[in-house]
Amino acid sequence: MDLFLQRLFDGLTNGSAYALIAVALVLIFKATTLVNFAQGEQAMLGAFIVLQLWNWGLPMWVAVIVGMLISGIIAAGLERTFIRRFDPADHLPLVIITLGLFLVLNAVAAIVWRYDPLAFPQLFPHGSAITIGNARLSWYSIFAFGSCILVLLLLHVLLNRTKIGLSFRAVSSNLESSRLCGIKVGPTLQFGWALAAAAGTFGASIYAANPVLQIEPSIMLRALIFSITAAALGGLDSLWGALLGGLTIGFIQSVLVQYIPFIPNEMTLTATVVVLLIVLTLRPSGFLGTKTVERV
Amino acid sequence: MASRFTFTKGTPQYRNYRIGVWALIIAIFLLIGFAFVDVGSISIGSNKYNLSLIRLNKAIAYGVAILGLQVVIGYTGQIALGQSFFFGMGAYISAWLVADHSWPFLLTLLIVVPSCFLVGMLCGLPALRIKGLYLALLTFGLAALFPTLIKLDSLYDYTGGANGKLTGYKFKAPSWLPLDEIAQGLQTIPLLGSFFGDGPLSSREESRLWKYILFAIVAGICFWLISNLIKSRPGRAMRAIRDNETSAAVSGINLAATKTISFGIASALGGIGGTIYVAEVGIASPDDFSSLVAIYLIVGLVVGGVGTLEGAVIGGLVYALIPDWASSTQSIAFVPERWLQGPTGSLILGILLIVLTLFMPGGIATAINKAKGRFVSIKAANSDKNSESVAQNS
Repeated sequence: MDLFLQRLFDGLTNGSAYALIAVALVLIFKATTLVNFAQGEQAMLGAFIVLQLWNWGLPMWVAVIVGMLISGIIAAGLERTFIRRFDPADHLPLVIITLGLFLVLNAVAAIVWRYDPLAFPQLFPHGSAITIGNARLSWYSIFAFGSCILVLLLLHVLLNRTKIGLSFRAVSSNLESSRLCGIKVGPTLQFGWALAAAAGTFGASIYAANPVLQIEPSIMLRALIFSITAAALGGLDSLWGALLGGLTIGFIQSVLVQYIPFIPNEMTLTATVVVLLIVLTLRPSGFLGTKTVERV
Repeated sequence: MASRFTFTKGTPQYRNYRIGVWALIIAIFLLIGFAFVDVGSISIGSNKYNLSLIRLNKAIAYGVAILGLQVVIGYTGQIALGQSFFFGMGAYISAWLVADHSWPFLLTLLIVVPSCFLVGMLCGLPALRIKGLYLALLTFGLAALFPTLIKLDSLYDYTGGANGKLTGYKFKAPSWLPLDEIAQGLQTIPLLGSFFGDGPLSSREESRLWKYILFAIVAGICFWLISNLIKSRPGRAMRAIRDNETSAAVSGINLAATKTISFGIASALGGIGGTIYVAEVGIASPDDFSSLVAIYLIVGLVVGGVGTLEGAVIGGLVYALIPDWASSTQSIAFVPERWLQGPTGSLILGILLIVLTLFMPGGIATAINKAKGRFVSIKAANSDKNSESVAQNS
């Protein structure tokens, strides 16, 4: 029972981190119906900026916020230079561009910060908050989950209660009509990219602040697959779906795989991809996503 | 734009032109082989760039894998990013058969091709329901999981785990092939002879050269088959799906069959590429088939030119040479050393990917074809008759 609880807690921790990156993916998908393969690397770069700012002496939460701002500005620039000139309905060039960004950002981070793992500032208090038997729920897990909920609430309010959120939703629902209504489509999408990058940076910072992890340029390679799966699982255009998907992936990793004897431990990635395959085949819109109806 | 030379299809002149071009290509190919079998490096400044046959053989392997991507992405329009999965699968099946069952290398293709074809078709099945981005996600996941599959403990006996699988196979040139004599003959050419090294070929050089020729023949057969496929009925069906899926379905094309078959063919080609790769390298190790490789293959596809067969050749060369040259560049004026020591190759490939997509969507192959069009133009047979009848109708 203790072991089960512990695994449940581990799943919660990982799941929250995946959910935060998945939220970023969902934001971009909502805006441009594009899956940004460079999202993980953008988040990684953002986390490195946070680390650099912290090394230069900024208090750690200030560093996180400034880092989010900087990566938001970078993302807005990337959107303006590389993404906007393409037809959003033609997926191939966009996928290729984001793959190119993936390579470039990863290489730049590796050149600037090298491959050596670096310690990330501890954003949350140490130790365990709750101990049930032998199972420990660390403060880190609680805060990671809490900040995940907080980000989602903030985004929910931003998208549903503010003017810019309204225009964002208008653009994601129908690009042409919202242009006709006088919404500036370009800047709105740019805002979406900046928002996504900031959320991603926050997610990567939380992820890297895990006491058992250190930050290095390839930290997001694995996490990206899990987050993509989480986003697809929850429905690519649903914010709360991202949380649901992230937690599901976290629990699959830590609970399901451990209790099914014929799946070896290292198979978490495989199990995730298989789950993705099943979900996409049976229910392409995910748990909470809107179904797309194609008109011919 | 008036061209210098005009050929009409179906005339003897056209046939001679084709034969001439192919003879030239084969001659250049063989000369490169003999020239770079021993030395194979170009020095610029203080940097040394290797151009040995090892890299060219790898380029052939990547070229075949990229040819597979041409079929599924370039001609069928399905965004499949998981080619490294099949590349690795082919490599491991070959390595396993050669090392543990002492098969000759080329015979392993008899197992590699059907098994990759079948697995590829299975992976293509969800593509019938999953489209565009979702497919890209799924295939990317497939590429990511391959190394973890290989490292599984339960497969250790077959794959050698993280250490990789040595093939322990030596290619030996058949004695009837006068490689040594040709090399010696080339060395006696005045002035140019020194490019071809001196003295007889060592047994190592001979086997390397033999591999080069052998792989090129295998790759040549693949390219020939695919070029025929593209021009035939199923190939036209694939292109119709790429251009407009709905109208293709309305024209009576069986979407499901065509898509799965194109996935299967692409995967089989990936497997053949993997076999060539492991035959060259001699060891199959899990990190050679990571998701990064899948992305690099996409880079090769895009830089070479999406939807062109020549693009696959160029893409293979780009993938085999650029990262290697980038890492052997130790000093360039005005560039800090730090930027040369890191993963510069991956940086350059990423920049190439972005720049070409933005400014030259057809890739290098299209640019070359355009340049060629200034000199040579090829008319379709009976084009005069057609234009006459059009004129009469109007």
